[in-house]
Amino acid sequence: MVGDSAATDLDPDAAQAAIEHCYHQGWSDGLPLVPATRELVDRFLAETDRSPDEVIGRMDNLGRTCTVELAAVNAAMAGCLPAYFPVVLAAWEAVMRDRAAKGGAWQSTSGPAPLIIVNGPVREELGFNSSGGAFGPGFRPNATVPRAIGLIVRNAFGIRPHELDQATQGLPGRFAMCFGENEEESPWEPLSVEMGLFDGQSAVSATLVRTCEFVDNRHTQDPEQVLFDFADTIVRTGSLIFADQSCFVVFGPEHAQLLAGAGYSKNDVKDWLIAHCVRSEADLRRVGKDAVAEGGLGGRGPSAEERVSQDTLSRVVSTREQIPIAVTGARNAAMSLVCRVFGTWSNSSCPVERRRRNGTGGT
Amino acid sequence: MGSSIMDPTGQTTRAEGALQPAIRPESLKGMTVGLLDNGKQNAGRFVEELGKVLVERYGVGRVVLRKKPVATVDAPAQLLDDLHHAAELVVIGVGDCGSCSAAAIADGIALERLGTPTAVVCTESFTATADAMAVIRGAAGYRHATVAHPMAGLPFEKVRARAEGVADEVASLLTGATVRRGAA
Repeated sequence: MVGDSAATDLDPDAAQAAIEHCYHQGWSDGLPLVPATRELVDRFLAETDRSPDEVIGRMDNLGRTCTVELAAVNAAMAGCLPAYFPVVLAAWEAVMRDRAAKGGAWQSTSGPAPLIIVNGPVREELGFNSSGGAFGPGFRPNATVPRAIGLIVRNAFGIRPHELDQATQGLPGRFAMCFGENEEESPWEPLSVEMGLFDGQSAVSATLVRTCEFVDNRHTQDPEQVLFDFADTIVRTGSLIFADQSCFVVFGPEHAQLLAGAGYSKNDVKDWLIAHCVRSEADLRRVGKDAVAEGGLGGRGPSAEERVSQDTLSRVVSTREQIPIAVTGARNAAMSLVCRVFGTWSNSSCPVERRRRNGTGGT
Repeated sequence: MGSSIMDPTGQTTRAEGALQPAIRPESLKGMTVGLLDNGKQNAGRFVEELGKVLVERYGVGRVVLRKKPVATVDAPAQLLDDLHHAAELVVIGVGDCGSCSAAAIADGIALERLGTPTAVVCTESFTATADAMAVIRGAAGYRHATVAHPMAGLPFEKVRARAEGVADEVASLLTGATVRRGAA
């Protein structure tokens, strides 16, 4: 194992030259890449039963495809261990289930980022962080799996900033957001189980998000007061651009346990938020977004304005599917994150399929 | 020395031949111009006003309007085929976002390959992505017309002013003046 070699046996000059070569080729996202060799990539491919030639993503408008092997090259360059590769493949499938990912999201001025959630025993087996500081830094799988997704977009699809990637600002943490769900301290069923997979099945879920905002409420033990704090964050007008939006709520264990302790199931929380995440016509008109309720941008025309009274309330989210919930982080403070979904969350989870050894099924 | 470093790009760009731009007419007089509204906000108003200016200023015979179902990806082949048959020339607008600008250029190049001279209009902010898409579609140097950014959210008078301002550039892209420009 390279990782076990004494430092004196290594050749830092050769490593530096190889890293610079990768930069020079335009393959890097800005950080150093691990130079991928045939031998290394073959170790990735040995972790899956899927054929190296299988096409797992295509951008017909760009004439580009991604194969299992290309994904392996990019995952290796991202710094993944070979054992992570089945998780990368599941994460890629989960990301590409997002309709927007096939329809221009990577080229969008919005510059959305994948939010990747890992469930099941693979978290512990591979060392995904599900507790304190789950959004990073410091944990190799959390950092390198989303980076692999970003490198696939850049290299296999050929979508690079200032060229086909037209992100206005992008967002902090783009291609760096991946956490394990803290199933051990969540009072609710894991996200992947809610999505129909069996408990104990390793799985990845993903959606594209535009930003995340914290909800810090260590101020009350009243569940409804806490929920009102979430609702206030969810209904901000700055992020309201369409009538129907999805909002991913990533609860810290304390908030989740407080709500569950008061008798709230996940669906109870969702139903409460659907009912209370509303904006008045006056609020929307004040920021020029009064036509959002009808699915448009900009203000309503004068005739339409007369039809809608100032106290008309518009829902910000209208179905349970638009409010996915997961739990992560440490149970040491009542903090959570509200993540703005770019398009429509696929409402599904993808199983992690590891290589079947000796005829036995993987997890 | 050790093994070589693998290429993560796959280099699978599609092998389309270099673009032969469609044959341009000498003038727009009496021509039928197709207007493809890509569905972005104000795009429909913009191409309709541009059509009116082309009628008033260049004697275009008539215009036919079509709308793209999804702005961010290529137009369906059936829609482009319909435009190719319904019009002698086509104007596409408005590329004013990352994916829809590239997609508008892709549609323009597809129409050129069918034999219909086409002028694509994007806002000035998206020249880089428009040019990148032209390279991908084997049409490096494919020229498009630009208007000031933004287009979305503008009142009608400013949309009209954008149309008036870009009409000459569009006319020049559609006529003989540009027959060989952009061709390798």
